[in-house]
Amino acid sequence: MTSERDDTRRLEALALYEIMDTPPEPEFDDIVLLASEICQTPVSLVSLVETERQWFKARIGFEQCETPIGQSVCAHSLTSSDLLVIPDLSADVRTRDNRLVTHDPFIRFYAGAPLISPEGVAIGTLCVIDKVARPDGLNDTQRRSLAALARQVVVLLEMRRISSRKDDLFRRQKRISSEVRAIAASSIAAQEAGGIGTFDIDVASGRMKISAEGCRIFHLPIQDEYPANVIYDFILPQDRHLPSADRTRMDGTASLETEYRIHTPQGAIRWISRRASFHRDAEGRAMRMVGTLKDVTEERNAHARMQALIRLGDVLRDTDDVQQAAFDAAELMAEALGATRAGFGMVDPVAETVLMHRDWRAPGVATLEGLHHFRDYGSFIEDLRRGETVLIGDVTTDPRTRDQFQTLLDIGIRVLVNVPVFDKGQFNLVVFVHSNEPRQWSDAELDFIRSVGDRLQSAIGRLLAEMDQDILNRELSHRLKNTLSIVQAIATQTLRAVQNRGPIESFEKRLQALSSAHDVLIHRNWTGASIKDLVSDTLDRIGMLERADVSGPAIFIGPKATQSVMLLLHELATNAVKYGSLSNETGKVAVKWDISGPADNPQLSFSWQEAGGPPVTEPTQRGFGSRLIRMGLLGTGDVDIRYDAPGIMIVMRASLSHLQEAG
Amino acid sequence: MGQSQMFAKPTVLVVEDEPLLRMMAVDLVEDAGFEALEAANADEAIKILECRSDICVVFTDIDMPGSMDGLLLAAAVRDRWPPIEIILTSGHVHISEVEVPHGGVFFSKPYDHSALTRTLQSMASGSGH
Repeated sequence: MTSERDDTRRLEALALYEIMDTPPEPEFDDIVLLASEICQTPVSLVSLVETERQWFKARIGFEQCETPIGQSVCAHSLTSSDLLVIPDLSADVRTRDNRLVTHDPFIRFYAGAPLISPEGVAIGTLCVIDKVARPDGLNDTQRRSLAALARQVVVLLEMRRISSRKDDLFRRQKRISSEVRAIAASSIAAQEAGGIGTFDIDVASGRMKISAEGCRIFHLPIQDEYPANVIYDFILPQDRHLPSADRTRMDGTASLETEYRIHTPQGAIRWISRRASFHRDAEGRAMRMVGTLKDVTEERNAHARMQALIRLGDVLRDTDDVQQAAFDAAELMAEALGATRAGFGMVDPVAETVLMHRDWRAPGVATLEGLHHFRDYGSFIEDLRRGETVLIGDVTTDPRTRDQFQTLLDIGIRVLVNVPVFDKGQFNLVVFVHSNEPRQWSDAELDFIRSVGDRLQSAIGRLLAEMDQDILNRELSHRLKNTLSIVQAIATQTLRAVQNRGPIESFEKRLQALSSAHDVLIHRNWTGASIKDLVSDTLDRIGMLERADVSGPAIFIGPKATQSVMLLLHELATNAVKYGSLSNETGKVAVKWDISGPADNPQLSFSWQEAGGPPVTEPTQRGFGSRLIRMGLLGTGDVDIRYDAPGIMIVMRASLSHLQEAG
Repeated sequence: MGQSQMFAKPTVLVVEDEPLLRMMAVDLVEDAGFEALEAANADEAIKILECRSDICVVFTDIDMPGSMDGLLLAAAVRDRWPPIEIILTSGHVHISEVEVPHGGVFFSKPYDHSALTRTLQSMASGSGH
């Protein structure tokens, strides 16, 4: 805390300023408004510290006009000429028991710049306060701005004193005015670094004082004063209800925080953020509306670009259509960049033509659907061939297009973005974004376009590879089935003389079981098959599905196991139809499977239980079918067969991981 | 119906470009009790259909070279010879991809001989020959 001697000097200095308990003054109010805006805090105060209390000359976001000295955090700032930043008041030994911290309003973050008089006496602080802790405190710009604004408070105090004590004025004028200029300049620089303009509207007259930066934000010639309604003409029609108007200022109902869009004289669209407060007279009538202005176009655009990238990720993940992916990417790019046309075209790299498909367009912009020759518009196809994204901010000056710029301007292209997409090393698709106003690309925009291009290229590459794979799979499947048919034909021809047709029919049916396994696999791109599909397919093929009770968890097995399991199921079903429960009209079969055993080596157990068929006996002869059954799910055995009532019961077990092997 | 036709076997036209498969299909048709005619492609099949009036079933592969595949042939048969029954076969997996003409039957390759035999016989008896 401060020493008694310091206290005395502080009280003397405060007394000389004749400031304590005076009414609010706009100059000080503006400073707390700026401080809270720059530091992004809800609360900002000009706090002057006496012995028993701190009193606020200006305040924003804080109810009381003074607090007892015991609740003052600012008092801790007075011992140093540096900024005091306390990231978490509830964790700091100096402040954790402060009533403003432990009770409502539960303040958590504090940063204060001391107000140091020209004599070197700290009389109070300009502080900012938040209700959430800020581990990172303030950034450099915010620290410098807060210190600059604190110096400006002292300048204002000095000027007040000077104007009230004319005799002092003459003596100090020279030194003060130079100091004021320097500090005002640094303060304005701080404002402008943040791009923040200020305004002050006299409600009755509708006259608006506006800072130079405020004029720049609205693209108005710099002058001190404008009619408040001067901005109406610039505001987009759909946003005209957002800013304040004569009536809403008069009755004090204008919204205090709003964002709206304006047209610049060059035709660009900018987003303006405006925060304000009303100054009211003793009867509560709105007298002045004071606030800050900021151009937030970049922030909004950055947000739009981020959203576009997120949406693009979703779109590209969900689509399996190359042209849809290209169109969606173009549209997202156009929206995020505020472009006027976007789309894609199929490229013939030999003829150097592009066939433009349907395109996205802003209202009033013509389509480019149809065939175009790249060379009619410049030389940028050479960059596209090398796989480079072409970004032209102004076709009239870019060396690749300036010789043919009129052709481009005629079709509404001032800005041109082309992203090439390659298939099997061949340049065959181009995604484009056009705009009819020249622009300087920001680094963030260039990164965005390249990122969209990269994502689109890899997504389309994946889609094309999948399509190729799909075509190959179908062709292979077709050929394999024709080969199986020929095997069948050779067998029937070879065995034509054999009188006993039974074995030949069995062979034919096994061949069909193998072919069915293949069908099931091809539906899943050769990744494997579900046990349920295999069982259902087998029983359906012999028309016995409705006499079976098929149940078990959803389990996929690998392609190799699929073929052997399918043959096995075929034998089980054939036996049931020939000798077992499916040989009469009423018998049933229950097919069940489950997982058991240790988690690191789970076992599949599979059971085939017949019931309601003729009495069963163990066969005396072992044909191919029963040998296949005894070999089990993977040809490795582990099969129990019981020939009891109510029917044959076969249980097979195998390692699930072996069943699921890809090979 | 004339006396001569009472004793004549119903005739099936087999259309298949792969000789081995055609041979097998002809055997199957004959074993099922029919007279078999064979064609290696759709154009040959049309020529045969134009000069024979005793064909009751056309059994054709879908995937064949030439100016017409089996589907076009089936459509032509449906259009020009409406009473003739149609059986289609293919090694392609998805039956939904195949537009089987009205009244036609599809068999996936390799086909089940006994099921195909039953289909042929029911078509022949149902057609009134």
